[in-house]
Amino acid sequence: MHHSIAKRLIRVTCAAMLATAVGSVCAQETGPLPKASAQKFDRRDFTGTWDRYPQSIDSRRDPSVVPLPTDAPPPPLKPQYQAAFDAAVKKIADANARGEPIANGYTACQPDGMPTMMMAMFPMEVLQSGKQVTIIQEAYNQVRRIYMGGQLPAVDDAEPGFWGHSVGKWDGDTLVVDTIGIKDYVRFRNAPHSAEMRIHERIRKLTPDHFENTVTVTDPVYLTAPWSWKWVYQRRPNYKMYEYVCEENREYADPVTGAQRMKTGGN
Amino acid sequence: MNRKPFAALCALLSLLFASNAAVAHHSFAMFDHEHQIKVTGTVKEFRWQNPHVYIELGSTDAKGEARIWTIECANPGILNRIGWKFNMIKPEDKITVIIAPLRTGEPGALLKQVTLADGRKFGNGGPAGPPNIE
Repeated sequence: MHHSIAKRLIRVTCAAMLATAVGSVCAQETGPLPKASAQKFDRRDFTGTWDRYPQSIDSRRDPSVVPLPTDAPPPPLKPQYQAAFDAAVKKIADANARGEPIANGYTACQPDGMPTMMMAMFPMEVLQSGKQVTIIQEAYNQVRRIYMGGQLPAVDDAEPGFWGHSVGKWDGDTLVVDTIGIKDYVRFRNAPHSAEMRIHERIRKLTPDHFENTVTVTDPVYLTAPWSWKWVYQRRPNYKMYEYVCEENREYADPVTGAQRMKTGGN
Repeated sequence: MNRKPFAALCALLSLLFASNAAVAHHSFAMFDHEHQIKVTGTVKEFRWQNPHVYIELGSTDAKGEARIWTIECANPGILNRIGWKFNMIKPEDKITVIIAPLRTGEPGALLKQVTLADGRKFGNGGPAGPPNIE
């Protein structure tokens, strides 16, 4: 009996994959799938462990539950920055096509930073109190702290970091977060930004087990218009986060070419 | 009811879309995914660590020369989530791997599949992709 239920779950999961042509691992986990619910739930409580929806690494997914978010569009760069951006993106693509990828921040064990961290490469945990929302991303043990009701520093006083300075407030049941102070080389999709970049997030529950984050980046120096996209997350019940110390990467950047290389031969 | 064809279709789709998750994180372009090879050898070292788990595998190549392969696996989180365990491989274990070797010809590779001494087989997670040989 249990066997046939498991098979049915596998079939449902696979059917969902067929419907959307997204995903990579076919029902390695066969537990119950979260479903949208009409029941009342606390729309201001994001506590728990989550991962990207749909997540193509290894999680359960049923793309019929909430609408799929669309991918981030290219950054609306000012014309004077477009050529350099296009060249940089082409250089990366060409290097990959040649089989000689260019080393990046990950090669040097650098974390995503904002806003890439919210892409949720791996599961993430949200801890919430009245004064603070804390988001922990498993990859690289990343932590961002959102101070509720806080004030952002002036741009000139915002010491740049990977996750910057974040303050939050409630707009109805939507958690609205503003972030500034991201290091200039911490970039999402290779897009350049200035110290005046602001990341605005509108985070709201869709179901008891899904929430969305509408991210809007503004930058009066580099962008002609707000740059916006949406990420959706799905609850991973009872998931316990793994530690992640970027301890030793045998991939390294070639000091001459910048290409990603690998230490081999028992070194 | 026989669902094997359906399972096979799912597996095919898995292959097609396996690379989605990895796009933003890590390029696997330095490995030759088209020319995978199978190597049997003795484990010299098994490093359960981030950002990648590594197996150092001693083997003898076709010309009879000793070779130590540095084999990159996914990370502990991904591997735990697909059923690996931190101590399932130990030094002196005899294992067989299917790997995508470095394009440079150096003795490094990306793991596609490992077969343990007890016969259990494990993949290397969605981003690394599946083996294309038996």
